Amino acid sequence: MLTISTDLPEVIKKRRGVHDLKATMLSDRDLIVTDAFGLRNQLMHSGPMGEGEAEALPVPTTILVDANGKVLWIEHADNYQRRSGPEVVLKAIERHLDGA
Amino acid sequence: MTNRKILGTWLGFIALVMAIGVVLFWFRQANLVALPQDRTLFVVAFVAAAMLGIACFIVGTRWFGGIPAVGAIVVCAFMIGTIYISPQKVADNPVKVGDVIPQFVALNDDGERFDSRELIGRPTLIKFFRAHW
Repeated sequence: MLTISTDLPEVIKKRRGVHDLKATMLSDRDLIVTDAFGLRNQLMHSGPMGEGEAEALPVPTTILVDANGKVLWIEHADNYQRRSGPEVVLKAIERHLDGA
Repeated sequence: MTNRKILGTWLGFIALVMAIGVVLFWFRQANLVALPQDRTLFVVAFVAAAMLGIACFIVGTRWFGGIPAVGAIVVCAFMIGTIYISPQKVADNPVKVGDVIPQFVALNDDGERFDSRELIGRPTLIKFFRAHW
């Protein structure tokens, strides 16, 4: 599993311990990866603003890719307060990676 | 203290208790990834709590009733604001099913360079999220 957020590396390191996360966690403060995926939120910026803060935020998105990097399943949140629940993600993994 | 001020003070405390109760329920549902698509009932509850806070001042209150009333109004206004700004829209050309993901490089939490080519050979779940807050 890979996570990508606008958090700085040191913040990710600190928060990883709090949630005991095992995923590879990447920092995308400048939204370069977010833009490469076309996931920059086009509506109102709802994060902290000012110097040093991210200028925009990614739309919360979950993507399942196969061993060749091909997208098998993708889900965008239509609002940031509603995300893909674990049962939705597990179902997608079962459906697309069954036997993989 | 007049009866009106007693009533107003009570309204202030009731407003805050109601606001905190709705907020706690909100975060419980958020943690369960179970916030409903239609959050009208939450908006109604926040507006009701804020109105109680406002009513507290209309009726009249002592200072110790005004503090929880202001707290309720601020909390409810903030929560309604977050609902208003929460809709999301991706760019016109997002990655879609069947595409090969773009190659990228980013720093991990040790400040080391991660190259997406490291993902080749294994299925991966990629999760974009906004930030830790």
